[in-house]
Amino acid sequence: MTDAERFPLLTEHGRQMLQRLREHPHAPRYTAQCGNRLTADYLRRVLAFEAELNAGSHDWSPGAPPKWLDGFVEMCFRDAPFYRRYGARPANFHDIPTIDRADLSREIWSFVPDALSLDDLIIYATSGTTGHPLTIPSHPIVGACYTPLIRAALARRGIELKSGRGQVACILVGYQRRAYTYPSVTPHQDDAGHIKLNLHPGDWRDPDDRAKFLDECNPEIYTGDPIAFAELMKLPLRTRPRALISTAMGLRPGLCRALEAHFGCPVLNMYSTNESGPIAVEVPGAHAAPDPPTPATSPPLTYFHPLQPRLYIEILDPDGRPCPPGVRGEVTLTGGLNFYLPLLRYRTNDYASLEFRALQPVLVGLEGRPPTLYRGANSQIVNDLDVTGALHHLALPQFALHQLADGALYMKVVRGAADQRQIREALLPLFGSSQALTIEEVDSLGDKVVQYTSDLPPVHPAQT
Amino acid sequence: MTQEGPFLESLTRRLAECPADFLAEPRIGPAGKVHVAAVVSDLIRDLGGEPLIKAQAVAFEPKDAKKHRNRLSLALITCWLLHDPWFLQHKRFAEKAYEFLALGLAELAEHVRAPLCVSDPDRREELARLCLKALDLRPAGETEAQAQDRFNTLNTAERQRVIRAAREAEERARQIREAMARKEAEEAADKWSRE
Repeated sequence: MTDAERFPLLTEHGRQMLQRLREHPHAPRYTAQCGNRLTADYLRRVLAFEAELNAGSHDWSPGAPPKWLDGFVEMCFRDAPFYRRYGARPANFHDIPTIDRADLSREIWSFVPDALSLDDLIIYATSGTTGHPLTIPSHPIVGACYTPLIRAALARRGIELKSGRGQVACILVGYQRRAYTYPSVTPHQDDAGHIKLNLHPGDWRDPDDRAKFLDECNPEIYTGDPIAFAELMKLPLRTRPRALISTAMGLRPGLCRALEAHFGCPVLNMYSTNESGPIAVEVPGAHAAPDPPTPATSPPLTYFHPLQPRLYIEILDPDGRPCPPGVRGEVTLTGGLNFYLPLLRYRTNDYASLEFRALQPVLVGLEGRPPTLYRGANSQIVNDLDVTGALHHLALPQFALHQLADGALYMKVVRGAADQRQIREALLPLFGSSQALTIEEVDSLGDKVVQYTSDLPPVHPAQT
Repeated sequence: MTQEGPFLESLTRRLAECPADFLAEPRIGPAGKVHVAAVVSDLIRDLGGEPLIKAQAVAFEPKDAKKHRNRLSLALITCWLLHDPWFLQHKRFAEKAYEFLALGLAELAEHVRAPLCVSDPDRREELARLCLKALDLRPAGETEAQAQDRFNTLNTAERQRVIRAAREAEERARQIREAMARKEAEEAADKWSRE
């Protein structure tokens, strides 16, 4: 792919920005090339999404779903082969069957609506926490819509992004042994720079380059996960961003406070899934009195504001019945950004209650998905993302890795999915050659298996 | 189809007049309204049989709505059809009716949305003829050969439509799978945060 295909709307200053990010003497060894792939038409659609996002509030309340829902459900039953197989559309929305990650994992192509062209289809691979790796069909517009959503989340904290021409708007940091990294520019921010990079020293010519390069870029915001932010905090940075946005894993309050104190800026905790894109952003210190008030002995619960204008959130009990406001259950999504993956009552395996504050829905007590950090044979920390990376080439349909209290690893894989020798060859370089590892082949792990678990005391990301 | 049954028109008219109760959502897990096993049990009793025992009811109490709701919707509509006085007065169709409801609708459910068997004339006729065939009956006024011929014509036309649709769907699925496999090796597109 050429730069003309990666960046169809590239300006001269955008080209200069790319060149600067690529050729900077302290730049990392990027592992990939990737662009926004936005044409003028696609950019118009992103801007239209942003206009709708900024236009207003969610028009749903208990018992009254949003107005757009009817047309969306109609489209799903008409155009998406998976939903068409349900038969006729039920009169009552709550009678529509729910789906989960296992359904997506089995035949994700059957969710792609009939009329969509496949020319600009792109894919994102995801490991997930439920043991069902997914390859998600998507489109450049979908990825580009993350930026308005991030801007909307920042606006809730009174932060308006100002970076533009000649500046770096956002750096997405990771901390993994292997990661997909690249520099890019963002046309809806006047070709301001955007970089995805890995703070792992192995990705740099000199580990000291990390701080030098980040200071040179001086990004307006960082996005990343708690593990990467804990590493970022260790670097001797002179510059400070205007905000950090944590996604991908649950951000613990202690680390959040430490990051805010260290960087002197707000840290936003965003709830986002590959299947749906960004869902909601946490309101800081929002332990405001609920309606009606809960007993004084109840632990304080933070709440999250839904972000997407066309994402309907239900909370369901284990039998699939809608929970009344304030009752905890599984977060279930309908709609979403990704028109290649229309979600109709998608059970996320995340848990919260839904309440209404000032007539607007909020998710209360959302249970994030904390990272699992394993210990290797030499006491080194092994990030679950690295385990995912190490096993990626084996294309295991489902597996679960558990670390026992004595440090031994116990892995379950679906029978016949991969050679045990290959799994050992993939994992032992990470954990050390003397690591105890038992692999059991089973017929099925069920639909709700948690992929990564450990009996060892949790390791705080900041300790890594 | 060895014995003469009711007039076909009386059955298709009955289907066209299917009341809302039989078109309501079948109960599967917490969703839906109508307990299909109870409706079938009432029908079997009215046809001269014994109410369903638990093992028989299982066919109408599946757990997976995604797979079974259309079949159960068809079963409800068929219960309405078999409540026609012609069947009730003979008091001898209970066993065959149960077999048809429990096992005979799966194929139709694969390719026909249940409400079409009420709203679409061809699908009404298809269900009525399928039902008569399952009870070893032919429409009144038709010979065995005529009934078989008409059944085949309807069935063949529908089958061809279904095969064509299935072929198109499979072709589209193949194109998507291939596009996804091809794109796996290609670059994706930039986004500002990850999951």
